[in-house]
Amino acid sequence: MNKLAIITGFLGAIKNRYIVYQGDRVLADKLALAAQVEGCDGVEVCYPADFQDPGELKRLLERHQLGVSAVNFRSRRTGKWWRGSFSSLDPVERREVTDDLKRAMDFAVELGCYRVTTCPLNEGTDSPFEADFRTLFDAAADSLYTACAHNPEVKVCLEYKKNDPRTRTLFGSAGETAAFCLMTGMDNLGATLDIGHAIQAEENPSQSAVLLQRAGRLFYVHLNDNDGRWDWDMIPGVYHLWEFIELFYTLRELDYDDDWYAFDVFPKEIDTLETFNAVMHMTRKLESITDRIGLEKMETLRQQRNPAKTVTYLYSLL
Amino acid sequence: MKRWKYCANAGFFGARRDRFNQYQPDRTLEEKIALVSQVEGITGIELKYPGDLDDSMMVKNLLDQYELQLSVVNVNTKAVTHFRYGTLTARSEKARRTAVQLLKEGMDIAAEMGVGLVTNCPLMDGYDYPFQVDYAQAWDDFIAGCREVTAHRPDVTLMLEFQPHDPNAKILLNNVGKVLYVCAEVGAQNIGANLDVGHSLAAREAPAESAALLFRNGLLKYVHSNDNTGDGGDWDMISGSVHYWHWVEFIYTLIREGYQGWIGADLAPRHFGPVAAYQTNIMMIDRMTNLVERVGIDQIQTLLGQDGNTPGIYEKLTANLA
Repeated sequence: MNKLAIITGFLGAIKNRYIVYQGDRVLADKLALAAQVEGCDGVEVCYPADFQDPGELKRLLERHQLGVSAVNFRSRRTGKWWRGSFSSLDPVERREVTDDLKRAMDFAVELGCYRVTTCPLNEGTDSPFEADFRTLFDAAADSLYTACAHNPEVKVCLEYKKNDPRTRTLFGSAGETAAFCLMTGMDNLGATLDIGHAIQAEENPSQSAVLLQRAGRLFYVHLNDNDGRWDWDMIPGVYHLWEFIELFYTLRELDYDDDWYAFDVFPKEIDTLETFNAVMHMTRKLESITDRIGLEKMETLRQQRNPAKTVTYLYSLL
Repeated sequence: MKRWKYCANAGFFGARRDRFNQYQPDRTLEEKIALVSQVEGITGIELKYPGDLDDSMMVKNLLDQYELQLSVVNVNTKAVTHFRYGTLTARSEKARRTAVQLLKEGMDIAAEMGVGLVTNCPLMDGYDYPFQVDYAQAWDDFIAGCREVTAHRPDVTLMLEFQPHDPNAKILLNNVGKVLYVCAEVGAQNIGANLDVGHSLAAREAPAESAALLFRNGLLKYVHSNDNTGDGGDWDMISGSVHYWHWVEFIYTLIREGYQGWIGADLAPRHFGPVAAYQTNIMMIDRMTNLVERVGIDQIQTLLGQDGNTPGIYEKLTANLA
């Protein structure tokens, strides 16, 4: 069974274009809060926002008996790297982000998770004719090759997403990400499959998981839901109930079942603790529905490919 | 022939924020007004209440000094935590009363400043999850709120600005149809629409059709110009930079209907600054307007009067591209 982690960035103040929700918290308070969430096994720790000194972080993790699923490396920062970091046209900026990513990789070793995830949201364009995409891809490949070569034991995960704050990113879908990783040629460069991002990109999450696994790039999974139009970071299953059940079923088939799920869920006007209690509960509930699916029965149904039969069977499990 | 006037939204001349970053330095109101006055062709400015217009005498003096007219009072009920559960549709009566009060005060300020318009974008009135809101109750409250506000004084028009989502996944007032419905049900003479072209595109509308529907009902009172990629994001890009032909069609509609109001703009110039963004936006609208005029309103109307003549229209339009 996968363990459940909360991304520390979602445990304090969260903001959108208009409003700041929830009070901000220091790292110690965020971890104390995570420890209160029923069924939470650990955290994904945001670097550099939530820690720059792994010593203090380790003491806090120990105190609260929390594991670490991954280091979350922020590749976009206010005031710098405006036109992308990994794909910046400025070699100084590329060097700067690559060096900092290496530092995050070292922290991942020290914390024992051996995994860094980064959401390359600022790599991309807003308007037609804004950039030469050949150059952007080359620059990104160069930066990430260099970082990955720093320590092949650490998995570097690109969390693809199609937009925001760029109107279109370089890594918008499972296919684009898998292809980029393969072309870059580093075995420790792969994908974080964020289910909300996959849904927003009009993917079926199970299909994306299988594709990434085939390419050897399914490194990590983030869970959240949305309405298919935007990355609202909602409680898993609230819009895509059966897609989540199919995903959990598929991930077991892919042997992603002794790892971590990390959550990016936005506790907007609802209390943070209450939100994540619901997140953990809903996730385990969806898994328990998944448990009811008979393996042989499902194999037969998938051979038959008769949705009338399959849907009837699935609803009989509720 | 008299056409529309251009104005700017002062809010976009200071710091802007999205979920991840902050862009552009923050500026004082005077600094914003001074920057707006640098944009050639702009004669008006849209200001917020509460906020910009808290001291209206001071603002009057500043606007005189920089030779700008106030175009509208934008009653801002979206970026505040106490409205996080909604404004006119909140379950808390106190929040509903506060929202009504702010809108009425906005109307009084508009009248005092000699402007007949207030605009409100009710972004907080919406929901994320199924089973979060009692829709019938919310709509009852929204209509009742609009009725009370419009009854406050007939000399100022309340304009509603729809947007499909953000920060709520679903906003009650999420398309042009809902605006038409609200205006019809409220039934006041002083209610209308502020059509934000980017919001219309984000709602997957053709802005020209939305404008035509509003004109039919005498409800198009104000325009926010901008563009986006159509992915649902309200990117506030330069008009015509993505949806070029949609924009040309929209301008054709404004000219055909004799629109003489303001064309404002919500533009988020993340990397190149507000003056350049607004200047380019006006240039784009003017050039698209020139194209429509070269082809001619009558000619377009004649071509539109024939079934199946889409190729003929594009032949004429592209032949007239400069």
